[in-house]
Amino acid sequence: MEKVRKELLQGTLDLLILKSLSTASLHGWDIAKRIALVSKDRLSLKQGSLYPALHRLEGRAWVEAEWGVSDAGRSAKFYKLTDTGRQQLETETEHWKSFAAAMASVLRMEELL
Amino acid sequence: MIAARFRWLRTNLRRFFRRGQQEAELNSEIQFHFDQLVAEFEAEGMSKSQANSAAHREFGTTDSYREEVRDSWRPSALADLWRSIVFAIRSLARSPGFTFVAIVTLALGIGANTSMFSIVNGIVLKPLPYANSDQMDRIYRVTSVDPAGGVAPADLAHLESELGAYGQVASYVYGDVSLSEPGRPAEMADALRVSNNFFYVFATQPHLGRSFRSGEEIEGNHRVVVISNRMWQNRFGSREDIIGHTVRLNGEPNEIVGVMPESFNDWRYMGWVDVFRPLGLSADEMTGHESNIMHLIGRRAHDVSKEEATQLIAGFGSRLAQDFPAANAESSWRGVSLDIIKAGEGSHLTLAMLVGLSGFVLLIACSNLANLLLARTMARAREFAVRAALGASSRQLIRPLAIESILLALAGGIGAVIVALGAHRWLATRSTGDNGEQVIFTLDWSVMAWAGIAALITAIAFGIAPALFAMRLDLNQALKSGSRGTTGNRGQQKLRNLLIIGQFALAMVLLTGATLFIRGLSDLNNRRAGWESDQLVTGTFLLPEANYGTVEEISAFQRLSLERLQALPGVVSASVAHYHPFLNWPSTRRLWVEGYDRPEAGHEPTALFNGVSPAYFETVETPLLNGRSFDDRDTAKSTPVYIINESMARGLFGDESPIGRRLASATGDSPEWGEIIGVSVDVKSIFPEATPVTFQLYRPMTQVAHHRNRLAVRTAGIAPQAMVDSIRNTMTELDPDLPLNQLQPANTTIARANYQLGVLRDMLSSFAVLGLALAALGIYGVIARTVALRTSEFGIRIALGAQISDIIRLVLSSGTRLALYGAALGLIGAFGISTLLGAAFPNMTMERGPVLVSTTLILIAVALLASYLPARRAAKISPTEALRAE
Repeated sequence: MEKVRKELLQGTLDLLILKSLSTASLHGWDIAKRIALVSKDRLSLKQGSLYPALHRLEGRAWVEAEWGVSDAGRSAKFYKLTDTGRQQLETETEHWKSFAAAMASVLRMEELL
Repeated sequence: MIAARFRWLRTNLRRFFRRGQQEAELNSEIQFHFDQLVAEFEAEGMSKSQANSAAHREFGTTDSYREEVRDSWRPSALADLWRSIVFAIRSLARSPGFTFVAIVTLALGIGANTSMFSIVNGIVLKPLPYANSDQMDRIYRVTSVDPAGGVAPADLAHLESELGAYGQVASYVYGDVSLSEPGRPAEMADALRVSNNFFYVFATQPHLGRSFRSGEEIEGNHRVVVISNRMWQNRFGSREDIIGHTVRLNGEPNEIVGVMPESFNDWRYMGWVDVFRPLGLSADEMTGHESNIMHLIGRRAHDVSKEEATQLIAGFGSRLAQDFPAANAESSWRGVSLDIIKAGEGSHLTLAMLVGLSGFVLLIACSNLANLLLARTMARAREFAVRAALGASSRQLIRPLAIESILLALAGGIGAVIVALGAHRWLATRSTGDNGEQVIFTLDWSVMAWAGIAALITAIAFGIAPALFAMRLDLNQALKSGSRGTTGNRGQQKLRNLLIIGQFALAMVLLTGATLFIRGLSDLNNRRAGWESDQLVTGTFLLPEANYGTVEEISAFQRLSLERLQALPGVVSASVAHYHPFLNWPSTRRLWVEGYDRPEAGHEPTALFNGVSPAYFETVETPLLNGRSFDDRDTAKSTPVYIINESMARGLFGDESPIGRRLASATGDSPEWGEIIGVSVDVKSIFPEATPVTFQLYRPMTQVAHHRNRLAVRTAGIAPQAMVDSIRNTMTELDPDLPLNQLQPANTTIARANYQLGVLRDMLSSFAVLGLALAALGIYGVIARTVALRTSEFGIRIALGAQISDIIRLVLSSGTRLALYGAALGLIGAFGISTLLGAAFPNMTMERGPVLVSTTLILIAVALLASYLPARRAAKISPTEALRAE
């Protein structure tokens, strides 16, 4: 399947990360893997954008980080959603959905007119 | 939500302060990712080294996004600010001279202001330590000779049933006591006799023991005493078992029943009193409407407003005038809120003046800094122009300037607190009273807050000019001009000159105030009108009533002691008197002159009254102009005799000789005539207060004996200080229980007498010196800069044949002109301050004319000196170098 164009829409990166953390606390590598997996490799997060984003989210207190032990037994930095982060995830999801719906409507212009 | 905020703060603070750990954590986080990648490639079947290099390829360089991560670590506003602060510190550190001068200027300016605030805070702003002290009034009986007089006990008794409408009125009577215990030398203690509700009115109960019980105010039951906390500590070593202890007051045993709390030693009110006794008025004191010995202080009832209280108090006065016109016809009553008199009724003017002057110092400091910063900013004009040209917004341009100003103000503020602490220590030492009561100016938080606010306002005030300059910078001009800096356009030059002129105007006011005051005080301290203080020892002793009950006993002791003193080698003569009129002279008499109708009540001639021993006039060297002095012929039983002063002789008898004319007290029903036997010169007090009464009247001590005696001893051929011990020994040999106070050379007493004015003088002087120094620094800075920037111009002038003296004159005149303009402008303020000082200290001579001339000269001299240094530099300009530098 064709990869989605490289530049993600602004703001979607945060949403992707927040969503991927919504069920479990993960380290950076797993976040990237999970997004790749779920998006069937159409979305891939490079570490170059992943880590700055994670640190930015941590700075906003949407996620918090804790050092833990990975499956392979190595110490790794695990991120998890905070309450604010969870709220933010909901808001952003709503936002995205309505944006997507709006986009879809515009793209289906011919059908509607 | 709060938890979230907290987490945000914690994360960011950790990021801010623990960079090292953050960095390490980022490293291991990225390393982990890398290792996972390598592991994945290996799982896909690559060899270890292949996997490694594949991972490196995939990863690329990590630097750019590491930096991005780091950016996210700092909250941007904070980081920007931090960067700007570091930038500003570096920029200030690059010019240490400027920074040092700026901080010192600010520290002194704000420090002077902060010290002044701490004084105002200590005197005016802090409430008195009595609950609801705003409901307390000091109640005065006002007469033409005394605006703050007392009331006669009989008058007060007459009003007893009416005072309740006002609230509670307590009364007290001044009178020092001799305090002695077996085995310890007697001392004279500041004492009050107080009514039973005195402590109630002050809403203060003793810290130990009790206050007075009803019945104890009656004579006979009154031998109980409440002592001050200070006396308890100093004399009785804070003994808890002091209650019940007996001390001798004026020779009689008294039981200590209470100790006042420390707060009652507040120096602003009642703090000087060490001994409180019940009123215990004698039968003599109780009757008669003449002896106005009772002083009143009231606490308004809760439902009585200030206005109602004023009316009630005035009503008491008019009631008395109506009921007892003989004694009260021309008197009235007034109440003054205790909060107003706590610092002395007239001192608000002085305080306001000092605050204003300290503000002037700060203003000079501010304008100085504005000038310095302006010059500094102009010198950096090119830098600003480049930054503006590269697209810096006006906010970005001003920001470093604002931060520099704030940093300077902050450092200045810290310096100011140090200055204020020093001033505080100095003030505490200088303003300690004679019985150790200390003027306490606590450096509390409000003082610190004041320093902070002053620093902030200052930063804004002096920071604005350079900021405006930076904003209005003409890019084109600044970038085109070859030099790195600029003298500024005409407008800016004018602004800087105006600042200098303003500084000199303010300095003129400060200098005039200080000079007037220094001269006035030195005039006061050197004023020996009608007496001579050199070779004179003065002191006070109190004859305990218990041992010296009758006039004969008092007179006998006085005669004996004076004989012994006069026999001492080195002593020329010795005398006793009720008062030493050159120090204070509070007692007055109303008179009836024979040959005139009995004067209407309240319109009698009034004279200051003193009782003196025969050798008095000889001892203090008050010359007699006419007639004879008192001598042994004048006894308690002989005809009453008077000596009056020159003013009184002229006032009552014009050119006729007063000798042989007769006077009597205007009070009482039948006059007891006495004869005027001599005329003395007028004696002027060394204090600055106004003296409304100019008539002075003396009577022989034998006819008006008094327990409290002022001793004067004139010495010859020996320093008066060296005589003090033998005088004391002579007196204590006669009576070991005799408290002898302040026995010292008269010149020492004088030096001490106006010590509070001395503090004021020193404060005014330091303001003036500070202001002048800052103004000098300011003019030096501006002239020096101008010379530096006009180097090439001067070079050309010299090359074209100008003499060095021409250049020097050019520079000097520009400086002097500014100072002159400033002095001219300052004249207005100088007139203002001389008027203010004259109003605040009416008995002080203020010679305005010569002072104004001399201050103007001083200012010009300072300006000349400050301009001379740069002028010399200008004169050394070598034309070739100056032109080559172009």
